[in-house]
Order: sequence, then structure tokens, then C-alpha cells
Amino acid sequence: MDIVEVSGLCKTYPAFQLKEVSFSLERGQITGFIGRNGAGKSTTIKSMLNLVHPDRGNISFFGMPLKENEAEIKQRIGYSTGTVSWYPRKTIREILAVTREFYSRWDDSACRECMAMFSLDERKKPMELSEGMKVKFNLLLALSHRAEVLILDEPTSGLDPFSRDELLELFRQLKKRGVTILFSTHITSDLERCADKIVYIRQGMIRSACSKAEFMQHSGKPDESLEEIFLRLEREARA
Amino acid sequence: MNMLLKKEIRLSSMLLTWLFIGFAFMTLLPGYPILCGVFFITLGIYQSFQNAREANDIVYSVLMPVAKRDVVRGKFQFVSLIELLGFALMALLTVLRMTLFQNAAVYRQNALMNANPFFLGMALLLFGMFNVIFVGGFFKTAYKIGKPFVIYIVAAFLTIGAAETLHHVPGLEALNAFGFDHLVFQLSLLLLGALLFIGMTVYACRQACADFEKIDL
Repeated sequence: MDIVEVSGLCKTYPAFQLKEVSFSLERGQITGFIGRNGAGKSTTIKSMLNLVHPDRGNISFFGMPLKENEAEIKQRIGYSTGTVSWYPRKTIREILAVTREFYSRWDDSACRECMAMFSLDERKKPMELSEGMKVKFNLLLALSHRAEVLILDEPTSGLDPFSRDELLELFRQLKKRGVTILFSTHITSDLERCADKIVYIRQGMIRSACSKAEFMQHSGKPDESLEEIFLRLEREARA
Repeated sequence: MNMLLKKEIRLSSMLLTWLFIGFAFMTLLPGYPILCGVFFITLGIYQSFQNAREANDIVYSVLMPVAKRDVVRGKFQFVSLIELLGFALMALLTVLRMTLFQNAAVYRQNALMNANPFFLGMALLLFGMFNVIFVGGFFKTAYKIGKPFVIYIVAAFLTIGAAETLHHVPGLEALNAFGFDHLVFQLSLLLLGALLFIGMTVYACRQACADFEKIDL
């Protein structure tokens, strides 16, 4: 069952265009969103969160259009973006105390578990965190309110191999609980380990949106890794 | 209290914003353009906007489970709260000047504006101007704070200059009433100021909601 639907999304900037982006996410699946820098991943993700105002197209979660049900939908989704710092001079405790009040399904025990797993000290301020720890703090905010859909923009960038491994294991556990995950990444080996589906975007257009097996079968050659397929497709497009 | 107003108070606002409410005490300064107190209160609010911008407050707020327009409303609620706290303090001090100090020589021998209901009406008009020019201007981009604040400064000081000296124009002496002189006229001006404040704030908030909906973060 499709839980998220993006259809006909268009956005024009002076130097870039998002053209008719369409894909869907199924409940309980992990979808990898791949493409080069500037291919349109972040614009698509930001449109899905109403941070960017698309020129055209529709976005719906749980069968509800985003525009008309923004607050209700955001109660049920989680978002994390790389290393952006919220309120760098406030403590993590202060930020969590305010954030938890926005969510009707905030889960203190899940929050504590993530804090322990990520070794986050709530007395610290975001400005005192390393880049990797900032990623973890953003993930903590996305994972503590029992979100049904997680939209993660490069969640594993900047994490050490051990933390990445733990995070991918967490994704697999969340998937078993029916959580839908969309994550953009350049680390394609992460997707090989946990993704069910691949959405591939190039120059603002979706080139492929199918299961990982289909993507590997149709786009790849025997024994090619996801990274090798991605690199070859990009080189072929450039040639 | 709604979540966004709580967020404004606990995460976005600066201590300076709260301290600058104390500039309402300029109402008691003799021989000084007392309407400048309003400007300093709005300068304190400006500091919170600056702090919020550096802390990625707008993006954080939009990511919370609220509609985008509610983020704008939360900012307006916070701004209005600070303004009304400052106004309440100024009103209290104005009553002091109208009663206990109404015959004090330092206030009577004053070329500038006296603290009376007209002064309070002008204070509300200035707050309304801040809401339209600065807060409304901010939400056209959600990051540019310099340009709308400079425009507000020019507009505010022209208004302050006019209000402080208007009573020297023949026929307008009643603007500088002491004690309870010309009370009905004075209260009418206060009421007019209040209506303008409400109208300007509601207009600015609606316009800002529409502008903010269209911009990309």
C-alpha cells in the first residue's frame, strides 16, 4: 500500500529545474534516494515537507494532501537533515523539552534509548557537537515521536562506521514495525545493506523508481555493485 | 499558551528583548522624547529576530507539526506580547504622571510631548508600524532583517518627531494635555491608536502568512 505519493512535482529555479518528479513509498519499505549533488534530491525532499513551494504537482501522505493537512501529517512523519544546527546555544535538554510538547505521540523511552545509542549528552549544546553528533541529534528528534514515515536527508554522512552500522540496524528494526523510510545518500553501500527500493534522480528528473532488485537487474551488469551502476549511469549520461 | 508561543519564549527570544521592555520607564524622563521608549522596545524584539535567524528557528518551526501560517502567527503573538507588556508599563507610568506628578515643574516646563492618553495612542501606532514594516517585511524572505528594520527606523523617527512637536501647532495644544484635561479628546486618540494597532497587526499577520506560504526555505 502506497503511504506517500509524489506526483508531477515541478519547480523552476534560475539555474535548475525539477521536472515532473513522481514516485511513491510503500508502508514498511526502505527507499534509497540517489543522485549526484544538485540532481534535485533536497529540493524534492524539501517540497515533501512544505519547506519549498513547488510550482506544480501533488504530495500526499496517508492518502491526505499535504497542503490541506500539513499539521496532522507532520505529527506522523519525522525528518532529519545532515548537520544543520537548531538553536546552537541552547542545551539539547532545552530543545527536547520544547520539541516534545509539539508531538502528541512523543515517546520519552524511545528518546532515552536513542540518546543512549547515540551517546548524546543532553547537557551539551549543538554548537559543542561534532558534525557526526549533530547528525545523531537531528535523528534523535526524528525518531522520538513514533513517526510512521521517516524522511532522512543524508542521515549517515559524517557518522563513523560503527554508528552507521547501528543506525542501519535501527532502520531494519523500524521497518519491521511498519515504519516507511526514505533516505537520500551518497553512500550507496548503505542502500545495498538495507534498501528495498531505489529512486534515482538525474538533472531534476526521475530516471528510475523501482525495487532494488529490478534496478540492479535493469540498470546494472552482472556482479556490478550499486555504486558501480550509479557511477556508470552518471558517466554514460555525461558522455 | 500555544506551543509556538512557548517555543518563541523558551528557544527564540533573547534576554535582551525582555530587558528592553524596561525602556518603558523612559515615560518618566523629563525633557526627553519619551516616545523613543517604544523604539527601544522594538529594538529589543529585533534582537530576538536576529538571534532566531542565526539559530535556524524558522526552518525548525516549519518542521514541527504545525501549518506554515501558524509559524507566522506564533511570531506575531510573541511580538504582540512584548509590545503589550511594554505598553502596560507605559500606561501605568502615564497614569502616575497624570495624577501624582501632574503639576511637577520638570514635566510642565517641557517643550516635548507630555505623557497622556495621546502619547499612549501614538505608542500603539508605532508598535503597529513595527508590525507592518518590520515583522511583515521579514516574512517576505524569512531571513532579511536589515532592510525592513532600516525602513521602520526612518518611519518611526519621523512619526516620533511629528508626535513630540505637534502640540506647538496652533489649535492642537490639547494634544499636550496635563492631568485629566481634555480627557474625552485624549481618550478618543488612545482608542484610535488602539484600533490602528489592532488593524495594522491583523493586516500585517495576514499578509505575512500569504507571503511566507510562497517562499522557499
